[in-house]
Amino acid sequence: MNTKIFRWLGPVVWVAGLAVPFVLGANWISILAIFAIYAVVALSQDIVLGRAGMFDMGHAVYFGIGAYVTAILNTVYGVPVLWSMIPAIITAALVGGLLAAPIVKLRGDYLLVATIGISQIFHLVMVNNVGGVTGGPDGIFGIGVPSLFGHAIMSQGGNFLVDWVLLGLVLLLVNNLEHSRLGRVFRYLKEDELAATTLGVNARYYKILAFALGAGVAGAAGTLFASQLAVVSPGAFVFTESVTLFAIVLVGGQASIPGVLLGTVLMFVVPQVFRELAQYRYFVFGIGMIVVMVIRPQGIWPRRRRME
Amino acid sequence: MSEFCQQLVNGLTVGGIYALIALGYTMVYGILKLINFAHGDLCVLGAFIGLTVISSLGGASGSPAVWVVGLAFVGAVVAVSCAGVLLEFTAYRPLRSAHRLSAVVSALGASMMLENGMMLIWSPQTLVFPQGSLPSISWNIHGVQVTFTQLLIIVVSLALMGALYLYVNRTRFGTAIRAAAIDQDAARLMGINVNRVIVSVFILGPALGAIGGLFIGLYYRQAVFDMGWIYGLNAFIAAIIGGIGNIPGAMLGGLLLGLFNALAAGYISSTWQEAITFGLLIAILLVRPTGILGERVAEKV
Repeated sequence: MNTKIFRWLGPVVWVAGLAVPFVLGANWISILAIFAIYAVVALSQDIVLGRAGMFDMGHAVYFGIGAYVTAILNTVYGVPVLWSMIPAIITAALVGGLLAAPIVKLRGDYLLVATIGISQIFHLVMVNNVGGVTGGPDGIFGIGVPSLFGHAIMSQGGNFLVDWVLLGLVLLLVNNLEHSRLGRVFRYLKEDELAATTLGVNARYYKILAFALGAGVAGAAGTLFASQLAVVSPGAFVFTESVTLFAIVLVGGQASIPGVLLGTVLMFVVPQVFRELAQYRYFVFGIGMIVVMVIRPQGIWPRRRRME
Repeated sequence: MSEFCQQLVNGLTVGGIYALIALGYTMVYGILKLINFAHGDLCVLGAFIGLTVISSLGGASGSPAVWVVGLAFVGAVVAVSCAGVLLEFTAYRPLRSAHRLSAVVSALGASMMLENGMMLIWSPQTLVFPQGSLPSISWNIHGVQVTFTQLLIIVVSLALMGALYLYVNRTRFGTAIRAAAIDQDAARLMGINVNRVIVSVFILGPALGAIGGLFIGLYYRQAVFDMGWIYGLNAFIAAIIGGIGNIPGAMLGGLLLGLFNALAAGYISSTWQEAITFGLLIAILLVRPTGILGERVAEKV
């Protein structure tokens, strides 16, 4: 395959996406807006899992933290939605780093189990309304819409564009990560931690950094999720959601941007399109996950191996 | 004091169930190094099949006969073992040489498929076990209430654990299981049919899990399609506490976790009991990642 075409295809598709609100109907606009948000979360999961190679099965927690920070700041303190994205990113990244600090030394499956534990504890904290700010099982209602230059973005199309811009920024970030020193350090840690450590890489520091980076990006998506749905509740950030994100990366292809995007389409867009079959959704996906793994254990669209 | 003893009895009951389920996790992990995420759902399948047998053969006027309940256990064990073997053949065997994560995703997919398949077959509602499936006798020993169901669960699970322990440690095939868990290639060179060992583990584990699942149904008198994941997770934590891959560890871990859960719910907080369990899990992972009875693994260079 011609790599030059691929290099241009991504930006072209993204620019073409800007026309979506003017071309497609309301139903498609909202589906693609949700796609953009979940694509950002999936890409952030991929930073931790696909690029740094850590089995994080509680990633929806950081998505949830971003959403809750925005919801609380907006409804209680009246902070505008887009401004609240900054504290959402910082809080999610800090929590990600802090939670990761003691557990990153755990190997493979043990890390996976510890992150499942974190996800369960997060869920309980939200449901039990600790500190009286999370709204308990019902969550928080009435989150405002984003506004730009004093102009409130009320329309579905405007919302979509905000999500699409965030997706574009995150794609740029991930693309830069791929070609940067930091990205290479993550890859060494994933491939052979011991060798990387012998070469002077501070494994613990970079692993915590990967967690914080992934968590921060997920937090940004959380802000847009909260404002899009105007409500956050613990149910949206449960373990099943983390499992779905985990599966998107592995089914799509680790450390592969097109793979992760394709995975997001399969897990979030397809079910929206075939809504009448909703009750069969997870049954079919379960079978699908087994079939894909058996046929292509490396994912549908894995990272292409470049000679370096 | 009597309240403390009461919590001990309750804890031991749930702990026995956890231990039965944990054995399935630990045996699969011991040999394949795979967290079988579908194991909890297999246990629920056991509960559902048992319930179906009881409610279809038990007659309309409650109190099914003893042979009906016995048949429910047999049916659950047979069906769930078959499901376990089928799962091994279709979802895990093709991935044995692939990257570990591929098998994890396959296991997650299997869990999703089973859970939602059961929802489609048995409805998303909570199903209730008929009144008097087990005799509602209970004894009062110095203020401690022990029901027949509790006694049955404790005795049967301890007996099954003892039997499994003897089987794995005293028979030729048990030795083969242990050998394959230590080093598959070496076991193969010694003439052990590792595939047969793995199939046997996918019969034994789900069989014990089916009994555990049916016990859950009979103890709480209800079953719902998505309960597998929380019981599965608790059993899995039990396996880790004891040292995953270690059979006596899973038994000990299950009983300890059951006791710990009951005491945490009774004396600290029942809303936070689950969080306390996960806190304990993370603490144990940090201090002793290989569990109580697990061996320390040296860093491979």
